[in-house]
Amino acid sequence: MSEENKIGGAALLVIWIAALAISLVAFYGLDHLIMNMQGLPLNADLTPAG
Amino acid sequence: MTVFFKTIGFSIGLALIFTLVTQLLPQVEGEAPVETKVDLSSLTMDDFVAMGEDLFMNKGTCTLCHKPPPIGRAPDIQGLDMVSTSAERLADERYRGESKDAAGYILESMIDPSKFVVAGWGKKGSNDTVSPMPAVDKAPIQLSVMEMDAIIAYLQAKDGNEVTVSLPSPEAAAEAAAAAPAAGGAAAASAATAEEALGKYACSSCHAMDSEDPLVGPGLATVGARLSVPEIRQSIVDPAAVITEGFPPAMPADFAEKMTVKELEMLVQHLAEKK
Amino acid sequence: MGGADQRIAPIGRVHIAGQDFVPAADSAASGAEAPELIAAPRTSRKDYPNVGVSSRAVVWILAQLHLFFGALVLAVPLFVLVIELVGVTSGDERYDSMAHEFMKISLTGFSITAIFGGSLALALFLLYPDFMGYMMHVFGAQWLVYAGLFFLESFFLYTYYYGWNAMRYGNLKWVHLSLGLLLNGAGMTIMVISNSWATFMMAPSGVNEVGVVVGNIWEVMKGPLWNPINLHRFIANIGFGGAVVGAYAAYKFLSTKDMEKRAHYDWMGYTSNFIAILAFLPLPFAGYWLMAEIYAYSQQMGITAMGGILAWLFIVQAVLIGTILLAGNYYLWAGMSRTEGSKRYKPFIGFIAFVLVVCFLTWVTPHTLILSASEIAQLGGSHHHILGPLGIMPAKNIAVNLMLIVTFLSFQLYRRSDKVATVSWAPIGNALMVAIYVVAIVNIIFLGVYYGYFTNTVYKVGSSVAQVSSTLVVIIAGIVIDSLMFKNAKTLPSHWGRIPDRAQYALFALPIAFTWLMGLMGYVRSSVKTHWHVYTVMKDNSPDNFIPTIGYAGNMITIVTVLFLLFVLFMFWVASLSGTKQAKPETVTEGGVA
Repeated sequence: MSEENKIGGAALLVIWIAALAISLVAFYGLDHLIMNMQGLPLNADLTPAG
Repeated sequence: MTVFFKTIGFSIGLALIFTLVTQLLPQVEGEAPVETKVDLSSLTMDDFVAMGEDLFMNKGTCTLCHKPPPIGRAPDIQGLDMVSTSAERLADERYRGESKDAAGYILESMIDPSKFVVAGWGKKGSNDTVSPMPAVDKAPIQLSVMEMDAIIAYLQAKDGNEVTVSLPSPEAAAEAAAAAPAAGGAAAASAATAEEALGKYACSSCHAMDSEDPLVGPGLATVGARLSVPEIRQSIVDPAAVITEGFPPAMPADFAEKMTVKELEMLVQHLAEKK
Repeated sequence: MGGADQRIAPIGRVHIAGQDFVPAADSAASGAEAPELIAAPRTSRKDYPNVGVSSRAVVWILAQLHLFFGALVLAVPLFVLVIELVGVTSGDERYDSMAHEFMKISLTGFSITAIFGGSLALALFLLYPDFMGYMMHVFGAQWLVYAGLFFLESFFLYTYYYGWNAMRYGNLKWVHLSLGLLLNGAGMTIMVISNSWATFMMAPSGVNEVGVVVGNIWEVMKGPLWNPINLHRFIANIGFGGAVVGAYAAYKFLSTKDMEKRAHYDWMGYTSNFIAILAFLPLPFAGYWLMAEIYAYSQQMGITAMGGILAWLFIVQAVLIGTILLAGNYYLWAGMSRTEGSKRYKPFIGFIAFVLVVCFLTWVTPHTLILSASEIAQLGGSHHHILGPLGIMPAKNIAVNLMLIVTFLSFQLYRRSDKVATVSWAPIGNALMVAIYVVAIVNIIFLGVYYGYFTNTVYKVGSSVAQVSSTLVVIIAGIVIDSLMFKNAKTLPSHWGRIPDRAQYALFALPIAFTWLMGLMGYVRSSVKTHWHVYTVMKDNSPDNFIPTIGYAGNMITIVTVLFLLFVLFMFWVASLSGTKQAKPETVTEGGVA
């Protein structure tokens, strides 16, 4: 957001989409990790397994 | 100084708003369980079932967890026919107890809940082998045998099944009578008459007062003819000294500590006159 | 048994004249057994002295005031030490003098704590003699250690406070910091020891079913709830201490027109608020751990707290926490007027305020309750007819987590408001930060809605841990990204003291809500024991062995809060006395003593 760093519109779009994708993957992994740690495994689509 | 009053006023006003919120909510007091006396001579099975329901809802704290889904934390006992459910569970291969019938199964589940854990309700990580339920005969719930029987009676009766537990026997009552005053509760006022003393110490739980029919102890309708005054006194303060043949040594040995001298003498005189 | 030698003994047993008295086997046995095996006493109503007023009310007030001041004087040295350390490492003298001032204004608090502690002990021994006798028996010589620690605490306190200017620079400063560390060490030890009494009463360990001590003192202390309570109180104390000294700064700010002083107290108030809110954010997680341990120890106790009579109390808790969060956020927003760069973030404030209010309303929606048939009748049903789905835990979990996230957002925006990032990767950092917020919020709502309403209880409970983790990830990511991104950032000018007067009232709302909240949580912590002095081991047969109504508790809490307020004012007033010097009268008046 600062004025010193001018980045082109396309590059900016890539950055935002990449950031969103990374966050999605991270929180998806977090959900699996935390639920597994409690002995509550999840399927790939986040429905309860078992 | 205005700053002082403004800030103090603001602070106290805010505290009063919080107080107001608490006043607007339902005002419920959490009473400690009260000791209730049961008159065994007039107790019917209906009373016993009603007592079981009351225990289930209140003192037993069962409904804290056993309530309908999705808010329950344990199987919805009120929604299930426990007699047929028990049969299913006894037939389950995971069942590890020794019970043969519904009454036995329910009692077992209360005393040792881990004997059979309904699938999905076990302690986290135990794979349904350990129950999160506390044993109801232990602290803090501490139900007596009679109370657990009452709950079984209620669970059988609520779906129209036959009640298989029997009404509390005088032995159990004597046991309860001996345990209850020792367990606490305010000491009752000294009895004023011999009849009151008989009631206070629950003599009639075990002794028939107006016949010679044996209950737990011998009938006392003509005790004055059988025993002398010192013998009657001895039988009360030291029951084990002489036990009438054919009776168990079941009489509480602590009347000497509990009775006042006046109560003892009133009882002795009263019984000596029964000839 | 000669007649002349007979002694007068209390009547233990009535026996028949002329017959030899044979002591019963049980009384002989109990005399011969090792004296160590003492069960918890079984009391009856008459064992509790009746002083005309409710004994519980007396102990309640004294214990709560002792605890308030105890919390304050344990917390203040803790953040004073941190501020002092910041002063040393940054070389900014302002930190050092602010730390000293925090210490000065809480100094009388140590004596007040001791006075209430003594009164509390006296009241307990007089009003609950059997219970206290049992506790003395269980904890034994630990009391001596506890008493001894007070000498250490006092020694470090006085050397730390009075030695402040004597040991201000160079190596001596490190000696001074060490004294502060030792002061905190003694204070923390005192706290965890007294916590062990409270947790022993809730979840006794080291004793058998009837209360006979079977373990050593360590096993008695280290009950299942000890560490959760230690952590919870430790964090809460810091928040509470920060809130109380914040009120001092706000009061000073409002009562002066001197711009230089205003700037100083504005900064002091800001720092206090910062400490209070920062400590407050992790508190729900510590609370969650405590509740989980309570459930693990006794499901019945957990449900008594969360699902029974006491469940209504959590609506009041929601009001209080809502007040704290709104006040804290409001103060941050108002504080943005100090800086030039804050205009960029103004649009967010409306969004944050909206989320806070919606979440707050969800949170105070009445719970689903069931305890007993009579209660259901009293409450007119266990579900609220319209608000039912919003009243159950998953909705509240979403609300709480979102409130924490947006509060952190307020805080982050405030921290950013006087800075401009100069690192080349700033756009990436910003994009990542925004993405983390968005995904975390979506994740929290998804977890709450899906597992909370469409799966079973076990997954519902498990998902709340994942929600809390998402919130923590946001907070940690925010701190990490910002600290890297604004490392050598360009700082815009900011003007301490340039904040509206009304913002200072947020600094009064915080300590009042904090104090009240602590009182409320004390009520629930103590009430979950129901009619037990020591849960499952020693029954409470006193006239007050019932859980009082929430309204009664509310009155008691307001009484202790107002009393606390008065004593705190006294404490501040004494502190201000030390800085006041009466001018010498120039002439002796006519009526003066010759």
